[in-house]
Amino acid sequence: MKTDKTTPLIQLSGITKRFGKLTAVDNVSLDIKRGEKLVIIGPSGSGKSTLLRAINFLEKIDKGEIRFEGTRVGYVIKKGRMTLDKPSRICALRSEIGMVFQHFYLFPHMTVLGNVMEGPLTVQKKAPEEARDIALAMLDKVGIVDKKDVFPATLSGGQKQRVAIARAIAMRPKLMLFDEPTSALDPELVGEVFETIRSLAKEGMTMVVVTHQMGFAREIADRVIFMEQGTFIAQGTPQEFFSKHMNNERIKNFLDKIL
Amino acid sequence: MPILPTTNSKTSRGGYTPLLVVFLLSCFLLTSTPPVRAQNTENFLVQGKNALSTGDIETAATLLRKVPHPGVHGDDGSFAQSRMLLARMFFSVKDFAQATAVCQEILQFYPDNQEAKNFLTSISRESSPVYIQFFQDTIKFLPALAKGTVMTLFLVLLTIIISPILGLLIALGRIGSFRPVQSLCWFVIWIFRGTPLLLQLFFIYYALPTFGITLQPITAAIMGLSLNYSAYLAEIIRGGIQSIDYGQTEAAKALGMTYAQSMRRIIIPQTYKRLMPPIGNEFIALIKDTALVSTIAMVELMRSADLLFNTYFNITVLILAALIYLAMTSVFTLTFEKIETIVGAYENR
Repeated sequence: MKTDKTTPLIQLSGITKRFGKLTAVDNVSLDIKRGEKLVIIGPSGSGKSTLLRAINFLEKIDKGEIRFEGTRVGYVIKKGRMTLDKPSRICALRSEIGMVFQHFYLFPHMTVLGNVMEGPLTVQKKAPEEARDIALAMLDKVGIVDKKDVFPATLSGGQKQRVAIARAIAMRPKLMLFDEPTSALDPELVGEVFETIRSLAKEGMTMVVVTHQMGFAREIADRVIFMEQGTFIAQGTPQEFFSKHMNNERIKNFLDKIL
Repeated sequence: MPILPTTNSKTSRGGYTPLLVVFLLSCFLLTSTPPVRAQNTENFLVQGKNALSTGDIETAATLLRKVPHPGVHGDDGSFAQSRMLLARMFFSVKDFAQATAVCQEILQFYPDNQEAKNFLTSISRESSPVYIQFFQDTIKFLPALAKGTVMTLFLVLLTIIISPILGLLIALGRIGSFRPVQSLCWFVIWIFRGTPLLLQLFFIYYALPTFGITLQPITAAIMGLSLNYSAYLAEIIRGGIQSIDYGQTEAAKALGMTYAQSMRRIIIPQTYKRLMPPIGNEFIALIKDTALVSTIAMVELMRSADLLFNTYFNITVLILAALIYLAMTSVFTLTFEKIETIVGAYENR
């Protein structure tokens, strides 16, 4: 198995996803290197979230190939059709990829600590004490360890999202996916979440972020991709992107609208 | 009646043989027939009865009172008879003091007369205040009803244990993606929710023996109740599971959980609070529906009440049964409200 440092962590090639007649992601190919911070921007309905969700198989793709650390994963061909691999394999893959959702989706019936412990405990079958130690360390990292015994209902949006990040990184994932992590937050709460993501980025975590926050994109991204109608319109480093591609009519329109 | 005295008067005057024969004959007849007085008292009894039947209570009372004490002449039972009639008469017009006095009159001469004794207790019962009557009846009927209640509770508890488990399995089968199981679960719900419980009980108890399956009444009752309630609970549980935000499933999946793990750890625990009100409803309905198993030879609370009522025609039995059912349903209502606040605590804290 080729797992040397030069192999991209994730390779997507020719990904196509349709919802009925609508093609949400249209023949997209993308390599994500270890430690890379990739930001995907674009108008809503452009397929950003769908692409992100295809990476951890929450969205079943119709065509294409996904390679994780060089190995083709996730799908098998049955009777000429692409079918998801055995559930146990899919689960194993997902446990290597953390995901943070726009609407947090914390488990409301568990305390903050319970939420963060859940992955190590149930999925990785760690001992309760070990899971607890990991969870406390993660809560400390996102700066919310003092809230460990409360239920999510009492937290602010920013606190919830930080707990959700702690829950994801408690699994020690190789890749983090952020699906508009600040879109559901009040503007004054955006900062604390970005701060948390920024510190993760500094530790060298590989991440794909879908966001509308251009300032943040420019700050953390190694590469920015502009997506529209299921395809990549443009990509490049933030410097390239926000200077060169500003001339592109569609990107200009989009940026004018949101800035 | 006028013949004998006439004959008597004739014999006293005449002295010749045929008349003597008649006299001797009369003497014989007189000694062999009841004494004249006795015959009169009999008449008072008969006349009194007649007066009673026409509804002339006062005349009847006067006539019946004229029937003399047994000490006056030989004891032919007419005294006791007349006084019992009087007692019942007074009782029927709710003159309990008079009725009691008459009964005691009987006991004066016949201290062992059981009828009078029994009647006295009836009078004291009837003349006592309603609450004392109710209290006395309660003591009388409660043991039998309690036995029935134990059976009802037993049926309820068993169904409460079995039906949520079976209901959850059916619900999961219905939600799951395996077609044959899906269809089977749909079919079970269709049958048991779509036909009357009474019919299902009849079918299990009376019709299954035709197919070689003979069940004890209690087994049949538990089967019928459990299957019926499982069908309802299955739909309630399915609704509960599907009402949980799909984001919860996605978050569980994203962590790498299997379907079973996400159900067990994430989805099902969140349904508890939502399920408590409808399931509480079902269980209250269940308590009342156990009354239906009385039709398949089960003696539970309703059947016990029915038996007692048909023996004594005493409405206290029905009131008691109603109170016991109310007590059971009230306990359930309160318990489920309590459980609801406990399992839903995370939403308020």
